[in-house]
Amino acid sequence: MAGTHEHVISIRGLVNRFGSQVVHDQLELDVRRDEILGIVGGSGTGKSVLLRSILGLHGPNEGDIEVLGRKIRHLEPGPHRQWGVLFQGGALLSGLTVQENVELPIALHSNLPVETRRELAVLKIFMVGLDLTAAAKYPNELSGGMRKRASLARALALEPKILFLDEPTAGLDPISATEFDQLVGFLHANLDLTIVMITHDVDTLFSVCDRVAVLVNKGIIVDTLDELVKHPDPWIQQYFGDPRAVRARQAARHARPDGGMQPIVTGD
Amino acid sequence: MSAYLTVNQQDGLTQISLHNDWVFANLAGLQQTLDAVLPASEGRVTFRCSGLRELDLAGAWVLYEKSMDFEELGVKTEFEGFQSSHLKFLQHIIDLAARKEYVPGFFDPKPSHFVRDGIQRIGANTIEAVDSVGFIARAVLDGIKRPSRLVIGETIRQVHSCGVAAIPIVAVVCFLMGVVLAYQSARQLEQFGANIFMVDLVAMAILRELGVLLAAIMVAGRSGSAFAAALGTMKLTEEIDALRVMGLNPNQVLIIPRILGLVIALPLLTVFANAAGLLGGAFIGATVLDISGFAFSERLAVAIGLDDALVGLTKAPAFAFLIAVTGTLRGMQVKGSAEELGRLTTVAVVQSIFLIIVADAVFTVVYSRIGF
Repeated sequence: MAGTHEHVISIRGLVNRFGSQVVHDQLELDVRRDEILGIVGGSGTGKSVLLRSILGLHGPNEGDIEVLGRKIRHLEPGPHRQWGVLFQGGALLSGLTVQENVELPIALHSNLPVETRRELAVLKIFMVGLDLTAAAKYPNELSGGMRKRASLARALALEPKILFLDEPTAGLDPISATEFDQLVGFLHANLDLTIVMITHDVDTLFSVCDRVAVLVNKGIIVDTLDELVKHPDPWIQQYFGDPRAVRARQAARHARPDGGMQPIVTGD
Repeated sequence: MSAYLTVNQQDGLTQISLHNDWVFANLAGLQQTLDAVLPASEGRVTFRCSGLRELDLAGAWVLYEKSMDFEELGVKTEFEGFQSSHLKFLQHIIDLAARKEYVPGFFDPKPSHFVRDGIQRIGANTIEAVDSVGFIARAVLDGIKRPSRLVIGETIRQVHSCGVAAIPIVAVVCFLMGVVLAYQSARQLEQFGANIFMVDLVAMAILRELGVLLAAIMVAGRSGSAFAAALGTMKLTEEIDALRVMGLNPNQVLIIPRILGLVIALPLLTVFANAAGLLGGAFIGATVLDISGFAFSERLAVAIGLDDALVGLTKAPAFAFLIAVTGTLRGMQVKGSAEELGRLTTVAVVQSIFLIIVADAVFTVVYSRIGF
């Protein structure tokens, strides 16, 4: 069954309530294989709750979530080896070096010899554009951008099928953010990855996302960006009518990265 | 030959056909199978990949490693029929890696320099100790020089959380200590028919030493650790920096109230501790040793004076100062990681209990010299 389904994530009838406040009401979402899906929405529309529900970190009030054909249950083991998550702050374990952080999931989910484990981790560290000097450091010795890259290396350690990114470019300077976008595009082009990302960065949306899911009115509207900008919903109109979004759209039209073999630049 | 590959050797030409899933999950098996493959001493090796069902980066990596091994033996390798771009990607990453600087000794165990490390540690600890003394002096000075209006409220809060809230546990512990002392001394005194002197022993021990000591140790465990953990967390979440930026001196709003609060709370707590200890002694006297409550209190009035009580109570502010200073100092030293926070919290508790006992010894010697 694995590898046959078109949708890697499907959400049916998701309801999330906090007290009397309804965040999601009968939300439906399908994520296609190999796409990059951006999730946007105003604050309080439940972007993080949606992500946490998919990851099994939050128990929804109602609804079914399936990831890679597997039902997600609250706080129960999910498809751990097939997904990787980049948390907003990186969430690297502060007591371990970057190298050890990346080795950790490999050590947890395999019984490979130490040498292999190390080399695999180094491979992942190189892949995200870090070097051995950074690998030997502790997370608190790294800059924000490097911490995100290190966390991405950990998320990719087990060759996941799905990569979740929670505000990957938040808190990065524009140059680091652009580099991170390029890195995401680069990885997507070269690995068989489905990427789901929460982002507020319109540049990220326009430069790397194939489709965008907008959380409005307790539901979700999913479409390509070209269609979404024409959507009549007032919030969407405001969001994409914003000068920053307009600029990002124009910029993206001129130079959409091809995701090919562009050099990775280490930003810090 | 195996589930993952078949080898075909013909006059110097080795063909390795790959099957099944070359993915991370099978990596251990893949490596074993590959290790078993030996090429003809010279010639060419061809990896035929058209039979591959799935390949991920880890699988591509072991293949690449194997091909590099072959190349080192002087055997030419080539890949046939790759559908995905994995190998190209891998090559790209490895090229990138080759361009990056090599960090010597990254994986090698570090040579041990026992003596050098030891001396370095002594030096570091000395500097740290000097730094700590300066830090405490600075905090106290700040508190005296520019008392902040926030100090009073915060101090009262600390008195409540370190003192009032600790009354039940301290009282129970001291009551039990009174019970233990009464039992132990009665067993000795019974031999001389001098049961009543149990009162002297219990009262002396509790009032002069154990009441304040137990109260201080309980407070070190409760509040010393709380101080270190609270300030350490604030340090990690940059709350301390935020205070500074807002023009609040953390010495004033965080450290001084904690020191003051504890210096006020511990002597008061000691009163409760002493009372509970005596009560424990009286309880055992009345129930087990045939010394009525009335006889106990009568004997108490004769046996001890105000100075005995003062000996205990005068130690309390000093102990409180030590606990508060150690806790806050260790908390402020936290930086970087959650692990550091845990370590320094432990250090705070262990060190403050150690300092309390050292200080108690000093007090006892000094007091007995001056006949107090």
